[in-house]
Amino acid sequence: MTRQFKWDSGLGLLGLLLLFVGSYIGLFVAPAERYMGETQRIMYVHVPCAWNAMLLYTLAFIFAIVSLWTHRPKWDAVTTAAVEVGIVLNALLLVQGSIWARATWGVWWDWDVRLTTSLIMVLLFAGVLALRSFVHDAGRRATWTAIATIVAFVDVPLVYFCVRWWRSLHQVQSTPDTVAPMMVVPLRINAFAILFLAIWMMAQRVRVELARRAQDQVAEPERIAPIGGSTNA
Amino acid sequence: MPDGVIVGGWSYVIAAYSVTAAGLIAYAWSLVHRRRKAELE
Repeated sequence: MTRQFKWDSGLGLLGLLLLFVGSYIGLFVAPAERYMGETQRIMYVHVPCAWNAMLLYTLAFIFAIVSLWTHRPKWDAVTTAAVEVGIVLNALLLVQGSIWARATWGVWWDWDVRLTTSLIMVLLFAGVLALRSFVHDAGRRATWTAIATIVAFVDVPLVYFCVRWWRSLHQVQSTPDTVAPMMVVPLRINAFAILFLAIWMMAQRVRVELARRAQDQVAEPERIAPIGGSTNA
Repeated sequence: MPDGVIVGGWSYVIAAYSVTAAGLIAYAWSLVHRRRKAELE
């Protein structure tokens, strides 16, 4: 039996390769930061996870609008996929950030504005998936998922801009002008690596969702009770 | 060595990269498993 090589498999493998290369440069080639020393190397996985989590939530927001507009199952599937993969990256960035905070601030957690809004962000989007699991009708599930995603997205710009708007322990965004060139290289490589892996993950999640939806449509007639009987659907 | 400079710290770096690898592998595995299950049913 031969399996067809899909475009997303190639992207996933490229992402994996880039993640190895970027992490190797970040761990062993890039210089240690002047004050944070070796602990700053956490940045090469922390920041790409943060960028891509927010990118996926932004895409989910756009997909949710399109889903509401068109009522087509594929847009509900990609919205759900973007939210779920975004949650995984969001959870990883919180754990990485917590480890980095312990090394530099001396605490695992602080109710700092950046940390708190990031925690709220993952909870809001986890709420989208929780809400989704309670709705059995596919059409209503898609509508509620889209509405909840749009509401949850309100926190995403807050996470990005809060370090500029309010006093925060968390540093403001760096630019290529403020860090050594050899720090920018692994950061960018890992950003694309996580992006490609995230696209592969989204493609798998979309297939899961569409397959489930197809099963629901097949199983639907079985839930219809005979004439005169009661329905449990 | 000036004040405020963190010395060492490799254990934190290893922990962060390990958690990232474990998280990505676990989620990727769950996706492949769920996809195969959904396509077989």
